[in-house]
Amino acid sequence: MDIFLQQLANGLTIGSMFALVALGYTMVYGVMKLINFAHGDMVAASAFVGLTIYTQVLGQATSLVAVIAIFLLAAVAMACVGILLERLAYRPLREAPRLSAVVSALGASLVIQNGIMLIWGPQMRIFPELVPQVYWDFGGVVISLIQVIILVLSLILMIALYLFVEKTRMGAAIRASAIDQDAARLMGINVNNVIALIFVIGSSLGAVGGLFIGLYYRGITFNMGWQYGLYAFIAAILGGIGNIPGAMLGGMLLGLFQAFIAGYVSSTWADAFTFILLILILIVRPTGLLGERVAEKV
Amino acid sequence: MKRTIRNVMLTLCAVAMMAGLSWADTLKVGVQAPITGSYANEGQGIENGVRLIAAQINAKGGVMGKQIEVIPCDDQGTAMAAAICAKDLVNKGVSMVIGSYTSTCAEAAQKTYFNAGVLQTSDGTADSLTEHGYWTFLRNSFPNSAEAAFAANYMVNVKGYKSIAVVSDFSSYAAGLAEATIAEIKKAGGNVVTYAKIKADSQNFTPVLTNIKSKKPDVIFFAGYYSDGGQLRAQQKALGIKADFIGGDANDNPDFSKLAGSSAQGAYIINVPSPDALPYDIAKTFIADYQKTYGMMPPSIWGLMNIDGMRAIIHAMEHNQSFDTKKAADYLHNMDKPLEGITGSISFAKDGNRKGGAYVVKEIQADNSYKIVHAQ
Repeated sequence: MDIFLQQLANGLTIGSMFALVALGYTMVYGVMKLINFAHGDMVAASAFVGLTIYTQVLGQATSLVAVIAIFLLAAVAMACVGILLERLAYRPLREAPRLSAVVSALGASLVIQNGIMLIWGPQMRIFPELVPQVYWDFGGVVISLIQVIILVLSLILMIALYLFVEKTRMGAAIRASAIDQDAARLMGINVNNVIALIFVIGSSLGAVGGLFIGLYYRGITFNMGWQYGLYAFIAAILGGIGNIPGAMLGGMLLGLFQAFIAGYVSSTWADAFTFILLILILIVRPTGLLGERVAEKV
Repeated sequence: MKRTIRNVMLTLCAVAMMAGLSWADTLKVGVQAPITGSYANEGQGIENGVRLIAAQINAKGGVMGKQIEVIPCDDQGTAMAAAICAKDLVNKGVSMVIGSYTSTCAEAAQKTYFNAGVLQTSDGTADSLTEHGYWTFLRNSFPNSAEAAFAANYMVNVKGYKSIAVVSDFSSYAAGLAEATIAEIKKAGGNVVTYAKIKADSQNFTPVLTNIKSKKPDVIFFAGYYSDGGQLRAQQKALGIKADFIGGDANDNPDFSKLAGSSAQGAYIINVPSPDALPYDIAKTFIADYQKTYGMMPPSIWGLMNIDGMRAIIHAMEHNQSFDTKKAADYLHNMDKPLEGITGSISFAKDGNRKGGAYVVKEIQADNSYKIVHAQ
């Protein structure tokens, strides 16, 4: 039983990181019907930016304030990169066929990934131990401070995002743009601003996810965005792409699924089973777990 | 550039003078090493070391009255240049060749030396080097299979671990080391409770570790690379697994401790010692001389291994009172008493492998320095 609970705790930790990253995919898709393939690399970039902020701007100070400052500064920096990405890579192609935008997204992904390599080098960079290694043992189930921080902070951010989208005027504008951009424009919504906002929110949530990866695993490489991007993308599809609670659910489920498969079957097969699960869910529910059956615009 | 040219000229002059001064009565020692290229650091370490030990022996009167003459050849770490070097050195009449650094270069030159009856001693660790049956080849390092035997003996007999968990990734090096170690553990009567494989670079090892936890091992032996090893150690501690952690030689990198952070303390790493940690007096003296001469530490232990190979050959010649290479090889293959070396005692098996191993177990301290807790 304690093994099961331990895998549960492990799964929830990585699941919440997947969920944070998945939100970036799903929000962009919801409004623009575009898979932002560069999102995973943005996540990787945020970990490097966070590391640079720590070493260059904060002078390697280790305190609670420093950690919070890293999160805020990295989120702001990545939000700016997100806006830039949208302006340069996606806005010029908004009226173009959807395939062009996808190719542009793949190109942006390569540009960011290689940019990280050029700036920070191809070797692994190592995050400092900013969160002290504190553990609690609950009858065989060990939970660390960093796991608690990741889980709690992710949940807070996800609930805040949900409330923002459901309860505020800006949230209503986002939802309206997701349903029909032309109609939203006729209602006086500045869709350009909404899209920029989507990129700001998605990129800063991704930045938090990237910093979690850095803080939790410590080792960061320029090409890790591909791996995390792929998992998060699967999580977004699993929950129903375009659906915000779906991305959260998908991320958590994927994390748990991976932990249990790797734990009870084999870590070798974890990836294979993840994709089999994806196929099965898409066969049974083509729009994902929480996805609604929406008539496709023609 | 000017300096380089000047240095080259000076070296040439020095070589010419040495050759001129002792034209008949020198013992010619070839150095085949990657003096330029990606492994230049190691290659220069080998050449510098050989020059230093040659100068020291010469100062004491040489080998049976003959002065040692060092003839270097740069194989650039490539097989093609190595083959050319082999021909060149043989033509220059060397009786032994020290090097090369890489197994590839040593292997490319092996046959030429064998045909010419020139003794060759290299630090290459690939098991294939000693599988051709060349009596001229003497390995001065230890093949990968030796590390497995040492690790198994340490875990089963020295530490007395009752249950051992082995972890590796899917690379041929790691899986090979892990499987060899498991075989050796079983031979020593140890108990391997689980053999788990991780995907290199996948970062999340907690599912595998949680499984290992349920097997309650006394120790986790990790045969993979430091980039995974450091994270594995951190996650092991985070899961509250009390087992000791032993990493194979590929974990011997400063990044291991950085990745593991405060969890690094208490982890063990098995490898040949780094030059500054060699416990032998002869090593301390030689390294001090090296630092005095060149103003830096030897780049790694591999150059010192090569010097031990050279010392062993010279020791054999002096013992035989003969410069005959075949006789020297026969003596080295059947040494009754090993020679004390810079990197530990040195003697050879019939196939040219260095016997035993100079492996040490290093424990990582609170300040991330190493402390040798067990030596072979």
